[in-house]
Amino acid sequence: MARYGMALDYKNCINCRACESACKQENSILLNKDHYRIWVGVKEIEGEWPNLSIASSVFHPSQCQHCDNAPCQLVCPTNATYYDQNGVVRVNPEQCILCTYCINACPYDARYVDDRTTTVDKCNFCADTRIARGESTTACQATCPTKVRIFGDLDDPNSEISQVLSKREYKQVKESLGTKPKLFYLI
Amino acid sequence: MNEFSIKNLITFQKTPLNLLVAVITVLLLGAFVGGAVYFFLHGHHAFNVTRQHPWGLLISMYVFFVVSSTGLCIISSIGHVFGIKEFQQIGKRAIAGAIITLLSGFAVIALEVGHPVRMLIYNVLTPGLTSAIWWMGTLYGIYLVFIMFEFFFLTVKVNHKWSKIFGIGGLLAGLAAHSNLGAVFGFLISRPSANGVFYPVYFILSAMITGCYLIYLIYGFKYRNNYPSHVIPMLKKLNKILGMLLGVLIFFEAWKIITALYGDMPERAETIFHVIQSPTFIFGEVLLGMLIPFFIILFSNAEAIKPMVYASLTGMVGIFFMRYDLVHDTLIYPMDMLKRSEYQLPPTFVEYFPSATEFAIGFGGIGITLFLFYVAEKLFNLDDNGEH
Repeated sequence: MARYGMALDYKNCINCRACESACKQENSILLNKDHYRIWVGVKEIEGEWPNLSIASSVFHPSQCQHCDNAPCQLVCPTNATYYDQNGVVRVNPEQCILCTYCINACPYDARYVDDRTTTVDKCNFCADTRIARGESTTACQATCPTKVRIFGDLDDPNSEISQVLSKREYKQVKESLGTKPKLFYLI
Repeated sequence: MNEFSIKNLITFQKTPLNLLVAVITVLLLGAFVGGAVYFFLHGHHAFNVTRQHPWGLLISMYVFFVVSSTGLCIISSIGHVFGIKEFQQIGKRAIAGAIITLLSGFAVIALEVGHPVRMLIYNVLTPGLTSAIWWMGTLYGIYLVFIMFEFFFLTVKVNHKWSKIFGIGGLLAGLAAHSNLGAVFGFLISRPSANGVFYPVYFILSAMITGCYLIYLIYGFKYRNNYPSHVIPMLKKLNKILGMLLGVLIFFEAWKIITALYGDMPERAETIFHVIQSPTFIFGEVLLGMLIPFFIILFSNAEAIKPMVYASLTGMVGIFFMRYDLVHDTLIYPMDMLKRSEYQLPPTFVEYFPSATEFAIGFGGIGITLFLFYVAEKLFNLDDNGEH
């Protein structure tokens, strides 16, 4: 049993989107679909020439936040959305009735409808691919050339992610909603 | 129960109004069937719903129908459950309407939910007890059973003791189900404009108003706006109840808007400010749904009956816009925009307009209601038999 989370040193992101490609390849995600499972948000430079704020430009990799208190799980009428033994928020397509309540309820816009199964899908930290094969990294983490992502067990004090989170400041997205997201953006 | 035959079913008085309603019913039923066929061929691609706006007209129409059902049940309970004499005459007709509108709502939602059969199975096998949708659906199922038994004991095997017991059960289950439907929206922490206590309470209030409008329309059509003496006192009392309910609704809405705008709270204030400028809110919800009926009641000192039938027609159009706006306004603020500190995205509200298939299925549901009500009028004696 673990409690998986991910720390993102997002200021190192160069927007190469290799993570998106790796995710699509590893998890058989539909091609030509943006924001499916993971994506990179782009905040362009603010200001007008010549007063441009170069510091304002940032790339922001994002995905399901795997909340400890996930609104999508709370609202699911058939428990198709559930926490697995590693605290990963997952969807059982056999139980999903496509009411899309979870899409409405997710504050992070992390869910979408997979046209092949006509059920709702989202990032599952490669739970049924790499993690199921016994690997300890996600596809997006393994492929990242600038080592933005650190994936691991938050309950293990010796894991890399626990070490990093104990030493560096971080922020979480919309934590004021009480969702307890397990994605940590390193400052 | 009356004798049922196809000949009896297609025999009716060929007045212009009857013929108009018959043509409208057939056209709407045809639209529903056509929309359903197109949906079965193309799935959710037949709808204009998107990831940003996952719910659309069909959810609105489902809410519209179940609001009508709960409203009719509540208003009928005034006489049937609480024993107010003048209202006892509406019992059978209102409960028939409550069953029929609920079934129409179920027909519409069955084509909105992606896997309705799977829903029936896993709602039982793996119930999501923290989900307002699960409670809403389950309670509506219980409610349907109660009001069907209530109707059975009112019309088929007349037994007032049992009809009252099931009437009370139906009323309680209906109130619980309907407030849970409000909670489906009120529980959304991701949508600040909807999140909170308002919708579960507002749903009950607007259901009662819808029930009053529908009683007016049903009686207006039945008596061609020319009422016998025993109906007039009931409709005048209904006027007073409706006037009070509309006053409370206007009060609620005003304070909802003021509290949403006050302090300019991020996401919520911007959404509500956008909403109150939209024509569907100003002309649909406020003018048609509230002000026209309210002012007729106010200026006639609650004596106007015939104008209220027409006002109930505008009122129901207004109720439709309330249901449409309820869904649309909840989803209008783009999720991406909530993350605009991280993303460079155009700060525009999400746009949505229903597809032809959505219109066909959604409004086609009204055809189901009209048709089933016609069948019920033929099949059962829905008039008061004076035994209470």
